[in-house]
Amino acid sequence: MKVLRPGTLGEARALIARPGHVAVGGGTVLQLGWASGATPPEALVDLSRLGLGDIAASADGGLTIGAAATLADIENDPQLSDTAPLLARAVRDIGAPGIRRLATLGGQIGWGAGCLLPALLALDARVFAAGSTDPVDMPLADWLAAPDGLVLSVTVPPQAPDATWTWRKIGLRAAFTPSVIAVAGLRSEASAALGAGGGPVPPRRLPVSEAAVAEGPEALRLALEAEIEAPDCIHRTGRYRARVAAAALTRGLFGTPRAPAAETSLKVPAAEPPPEGLRSLEGGPGGPEWHPRPDGRAKITGQAGYLTDARAPDMLVGRILRAGRPHARILSLDTSRAETLPGVAAVVTHADVPGLNAFGIMWQDQPALCHDVIRYEGDPVAAVAAVDEATAETALQAIEVVYEDLPVIASPAEALAEDATRLHQGGNLAAGFDLERGDVEAGFGAAAHIVEATYVTPRQMHVFLETEGGWCAPGDDGTLTVAVGGQHGGRDREQLARILDMPEERLHVITSPTGGGFGGKDELTVQPALALLALKAGRPVRLHLSRAESVLAGVKRNPMTIRMKTGCDADGRLLAQEVELVADCGAYASLSPAVAETALEHALGPYLAPALKTSGRLAYTNNGVGGAFRGFGANQMTFAIECQLDRLAALTGLDPVEIRRRNLRRPGMPGLMGHKVAGSERLAEMLAAAAASPLWSARAGPDGDPEGTGMALNFQGNGLGSLPQDDGEGELRLAADGAIEIASGLDEMGQGLATALQAVGAARLGCARSDIRPVYGDTQAAPDSGSTSASRGTFAAWSIARGAAPGFAEKVLALAADLTGVEATSLRLVPGGVAVAGTNSDAPIARFADLARHAGTALPRQKTAFAFPKTDYTDGNARFIHCYGATLARVAVDPVTGEVRLRALEMHTAAGPVIDLAAYLGQIEGGLIQGLGLTLTEDTLFREGRVLTTNLDAYMVPSIRDVAPSLRVTALEDLDADDPWGPRGVGELGIGAVTPAIANAVAAAIGGWPVAAPFSPEAILELATGSAAA
Amino acid sequence: MADVAMNVNGEAVRAELPDNTLLVDFLRETLGLTGTHVGCETSQCGACVVHLDGEAIKSCSVLAASVAGRAVTTIEGLADGDALHPMQAAFNAHHGLQCGFCTPGMIMAGVDMVRRYRASGEALDEAAIRHELEGNICRCTGYHNIVRAIDAAAKAM
Repeated sequence: MKVLRPGTLGEARALIARPGHVAVGGGTVLQLGWASGATPPEALVDLSRLGLGDIAASADGGLTIGAAATLADIENDPQLSDTAPLLARAVRDIGAPGIRRLATLGGQIGWGAGCLLPALLALDARVFAAGSTDPVDMPLADWLAAPDGLVLSVTVPPQAPDATWTWRKIGLRAAFTPSVIAVAGLRSEASAALGAGGGPVPPRRLPVSEAAVAEGPEALRLALEAEIEAPDCIHRTGRYRARVAAAALTRGLFGTPRAPAAETSLKVPAAEPPPEGLRSLEGGPGGPEWHPRPDGRAKITGQAGYLTDARAPDMLVGRILRAGRPHARILSLDTSRAETLPGVAAVVTHADVPGLNAFGIMWQDQPALCHDVIRYEGDPVAAVAAVDEATAETALQAIEVVYEDLPVIASPAEALAEDATRLHQGGNLAAGFDLERGDVEAGFGAAAHIVEATYVTPRQMHVFLETEGGWCAPGDDGTLTVAVGGQHGGRDREQLARILDMPEERLHVITSPTGGGFGGKDELTVQPALALLALKAGRPVRLHLSRAESVLAGVKRNPMTIRMKTGCDADGRLLAQEVELVADCGAYASLSPAVAETALEHALGPYLAPALKTSGRLAYTNNGVGGAFRGFGANQMTFAIECQLDRLAALTGLDPVEIRRRNLRRPGMPGLMGHKVAGSERLAEMLAAAAASPLWSARAGPDGDPEGTGMALNFQGNGLGSLPQDDGEGELRLAADGAIEIASGLDEMGQGLATALQAVGAARLGCARSDIRPVYGDTQAAPDSGSTSASRGTFAAWSIARGAAPGFAEKVLALAADLTGVEATSLRLVPGGVAVAGTNSDAPIARFADLARHAGTALPRQKTAFAFPKTDYTDGNARFIHCYGATLARVAVDPVTGEVRLRALEMHTAAGPVIDLAAYLGQIEGGLIQGLGLTLTEDTLFREGRVLTTNLDAYMVPSIRDVAPSLRVTALEDLDADDPWGPRGVGELGIGAVTPAIANAVAAAIGGWPVAAPFSPEAILELATGSAAA
Repeated sequence: MADVAMNVNGEAVRAELPDNTLLVDFLRETLGLTGTHVGCETSQCGACVVHLDGEAIKSCSVLAASVAGRAVTTIEGLADGDALHPMQAAFNAHHGLQCGFCTPGMIMAGVDMVRRYRASGEALDEAAIRHELEGNICRCTGYHNIVRAIDAAAKAM
């Protein structure tokens, strides 16, 4: 592709007339097209040198806007808000600021699908264009119907000052969203002008509806629903588009319709005081508990050293060939053409795998490079390393693979059908779990109220901003360094050693820093292909997945369908609970069996019932790969049980707090499997904190939209559980430069491991945080501390400091005694060094740097080992230590669109002492917002084993406008007097109960419970207008 | 191929590039300025925001050849030697980051919005900051500390 930059209009017109030449303004949409597979044109004719960007008053008192004016120019034009307030309002909803600065008005029109067009159409804008033969001056609507030539300018007449006007862009999230549909309307005594379009809806004026305006709102609404032609897309139906567009225009031009009355019978809990010791977590610079991140400075200066940012002159670029089909047999694989291309250094296939061609944390069923069968679109078939990206891409295309497509298993139901094609030798049932206790039938028979519903949770994607990648380099001594963002270097090394048939000692694995993990980098990602490439090429190779490839290849949250039947007596006491879980494993096991089992560990939430029956089925499908994701199944099951409790509350006439209080398990009771659990349970306190929330008495906003408050409790285990090996090591050591290093094989993914290591080290030793240098994420630099998952980090860090600090301090004090002549027993560690104990002075008599110099090569170091506390249960997996929470949501439901907007989120937490305020808050806030995404907007959609939401323009993570404007977090920090387990990890606590809190708030607002997350606005509208769900 | 010359972080740079080279790839691959990140290919995430003649734009949606002759500032060019830009200092002080991968784009967007609102005399209040950050995705924080950081930096700048 060439970029041509003509200097005159004549040149530009001549160029555009050539085949394959496309005019471009800001070019912001073109890139989107290429990313989704469109072929770039032969030449781009860049119009930016033509001028054409002026905005000036037109003869009729309106504005003439040059085609090259950017949307930001229009947004910032001082005359616009007087001349055409509708346009001024609309332009703020197009793209985002960094896009509006590039995108031009001409581009919106030339593209033919810009979201701004409905506004321009309603305003009777005219296009002035250099037509193919003559100059053109015509209404925008006509030009759009038959585009002719190059748009030079657009004239917008002055908006009638007495006209009522409205604008609404309905999207997939609150801001910077593709358009579901956008509408613009003006109504005055004499006339009406209406426009609709955007996204897949062609922009049109709506003449029939304009004529219906005079007949009043209901006639207008019906006319609009009939006139707007809108197609379905993967996210919304055409019917929804037309319906909400009609409602938005009608509401905008005729005022607010009466919101449907809520039919909920949910009671609001009586106010009560919060539990003693609960404190609001707030902090900021200068506060006593507020410490900057040890890695902060590197990250704010662009020097953080992400493993995907490494560049070296001799580094090759690696790429992976993905199958691109969900289920197939490889008939032949020929890489010979790719191998001979100039600039290609290595091509690898399954034939290059020296060891076991399989990996997987639980069992090894996933090929490093496929040799016979493809089980999902992202399955890797081959990989190349070349001198640059373009050559690597060419080489990928030169690899010839012949496939025979096989029947696609697109859902667990298909997978578990009797005659289903088997995806693995052992069949399609990846794991099954059954539990029955007490007499469930008798329980339901005696119940006064029974509620039954089927809850669905999405295939959420982690969307770490740094996609999978890194670099790999062979050493001269037969070693191999693999530096790829991960969550457990020790286990990555073990898995790679098996694949490469190489002793672990020769593998050096670096896994930090990484730009987000959330569970999605727990399993191996690109390491096998990258390592094979580096070994074969004998040179360093880097490889970084594009977002599109990450969407295709990476693990996702296992989608779950949970049928739950719950019965209680007339007083709201649970009598029986029946749970049937069906989960989509995807093509390979990874950690999915453990996820399903963890979900079932929460089948009764933190409640008691005499009879319980659960079953779980995890099925292999061709839908990508499932695996670990923050919450690990617990949050999905919590969604179901916590909604069931509110449904029963409505039926029994109890409030949400009271029904939970009546059923809450009590400290000291065994866990769901009858297993022993650790003390420091704080469920009753969390419930009391929820009862005390001001959100119950929040007042509705001024727009009159229905609002409601909902709550949910949760608990989250720490550690891998009773079955897996779950221990680790760590070390304290004095470095030659005088820094005290606290070394742990855990990873810094953003969650604040470095902060935690500093905090626990300083607290145990008595030195300053700044004396401590955390060392992590590197198998050579730090001992194996186990995985950075399952909320393990806090306990691991705390255990390392606790275990190593006494021995290390003793060695440092002995060293100080040797240097200063003061007896070791009279010395203590203080910020900066060692001081004399028993004096009031904290002034060190020997600085750590002095001690390091004095030690020479005999620097003090102290290693320690720890084991995660486990419960006695071994028939299955169960957790021993937990943290607890209560989440409250205040929502408003938009009666026009069915969208749920968060007014406030509040979370109460009990996880022992807060070891670092900012990190703790960050984990809870981040977890809440990731849970908000799961609840309202996020789902990786598949059809017949093919991913439909291929990039971030279709997969909607929450933007800043989607988050709750008010976010409050509290902590109850005390532990039982005899609790030896220290602070709990809160990495997963925050995401645990957002979904049911929002669902219950929606029910409080509109009288019915959404059951399928993400909650589709279409379903919410049905709930709001239909009868209240039972 | 295009002969592309521009000023990056105060230095004149020049390279022969394929015409379809994106500005972000020129910065990262040709110049090795890897502080500017890529989080998607669809201009959604904002990790690639840099300044073009002082204004924040997404460097993934601009061709390098289209901005020849202009001045680009990246996160590496923001601090004055060892002295952090007030926006950088505020992000650090307020914990406006966790994994940090989106942070360069956030900081560049923050600097631009403060300058722009100051020039126009408009108040950069919390609502304005949130509106201006619509094109920057953060997956780790809940955005609140980012808003606080920009607000604090606006007062310090």
